[in-house]
Amino acid sequence: MEAETGIIENANGSARFKIGKTEAIAAVYGPSEVKPKHLEKVDRGIILCKYDMMPFSVPDRAKPGIDRRDMEIGEVITNALNRAVLLEEMPRSMIAVNVYVSQADAGTRCASLTAASMACADAGLPMRDLVASVAGGKIGDSICLDLTKEEEDFHEAAATDVPMGFLPSKNEIVLLQLDGKVTREDLRKIIEIGKMGAARIYELEKKALKRRFLNESKT
Amino acid sequence: MSLENYAYIRDLAIEKVRVDGRKPDERRQIKIKTGVINHSDGSASVELGKTKVLAGVKLLPGIPFPDRPNEGGLIVNFEASELASHYPSDRIIYSVEVGRVTDRGIRESNIIDLKKLVVEPGKTALFVYVDCYAINNDGNLLDACNIACLTALVNARCVMEGHGEERLPLPLNLDNLSISHTFGKIDRTIFFDPDMIEENIEDARLTIGAGNGVINSMQKGKSGAFTPEEVDACVERALAHRHEVKDLILGHHSK
Repeated sequence: MEAETGIIENANGSARFKIGKTEAIAAVYGPSEVKPKHLEKVDRGIILCKYDMMPFSVPDRAKPGIDRRDMEIGEVITNALNRAVLLEEMPRSMIAVNVYVSQADAGTRCASLTAASMACADAGLPMRDLVASVAGGKIGDSICLDLTKEEEDFHEAAATDVPMGFLPSKNEIVLLQLDGKVTREDLRKIIEIGKMGAARIYELEKKALKRRFLNESKT
Repeated sequence: MSLENYAYIRDLAIEKVRVDGRKPDERRQIKIKTGVINHSDGSASVELGKTKVLAGVKLLPGIPFPDRPNEGGLIVNFEASELASHYPSDRIIYSVEVGRVTDRGIRESNIIDLKKLVVEPGKTALFVYVDCYAINNDGNLLDACNIACLTALVNARCVMEGHGEERLPLPLNLDNLSISHTFGKIDRTIFFDPDMIEENIEDARLTIGAGNGVINSMQKGKSGAFTPEEVDACVERALAHRHEVKDLILGHHSK
């Protein structure tokens, strides 16, 4: 795992997060005036998130631009960040969060969410907590953390993927998706190891942000 | 786009002085990293001062164009991603122009022998996709993008259909590398490699793709004008200093 913040000078906040062979880059612009105007909320700010895969991130070529999958992932990241960022402190404003996946090997939505939350913190937004996100799952009979694409595909029939996002210090889950088949007991275990994985990511995130503010992450 | 320090920079330009202390014909420092993307056949991350771009090359089979059954294809695509700016107007202007100019520079210099990419004439050929993303924009995306795309191409190694399983370099003609040189004109002074502040203020811009003793592509941008003498001086500068960047790129050649 690698985490780094402040990599894009133009943006108010930015971060890069790499977990295994998956890498995401996030930039945060704002808070600024809401555009388009009709999205404005009088009592709180809004987050607009864009998620996209770079064409060379996957074994074949991903077409540039937003498809239905990208839209859905943008939506779940927005939902998670809505809980993490104290939006009620910035009414009538908008925060643009843009996440690009440069290398994909499963678990891109988790890497993207982690990068996005670090970028928000780097931008100095008031936040409840950082989001630490990791995918858990079940391959055959064993419970695993952070599946790779190979694992996901090889055991297609018996693999279950559970992306999770945590606010570690609040013990809250802000992202949870599941596809596959697990029992109640299994899910409990998956969430348990997810929490453990998230705790490690959380430490790394904090370290990267501290480094940035001690001005050491700039190389 | 901001017009910060507009008058100040114009005044300095008359004296041939730049805000960041560079000489008028001095380029910012170039940093190149290759092999940064696992799933691409060749990749490069280029920093030109604070401007950052990421380029990846992919080789995929496809159907040749009907009018050129004996050739593979080259597709250069540039995305001014929302990482670099979230103003839609910024991105639309850059996206189209940078992509087109970079594509022309690579295509017209014939560095890729497209005929060697044919697997079965009229039916299957290999297509070279070069995708370039702006990560941060501090001016002169044109040159940064050109350097990144060329480095990614030079660095690429791919499994080619009909040539066994071994990963081979692309059929490139390395002498022909067309290196982009961008000049900005403020008042009557010409600055090489303008940064963001200068780019916002400049009256005219000239991009020259310098090949091996020849010019492969040119593009004048913005609404100002150049005199023929100025164009000639820029061309001279581009051709004379082309080897600096060329050597830097070829340092990443995969043998």
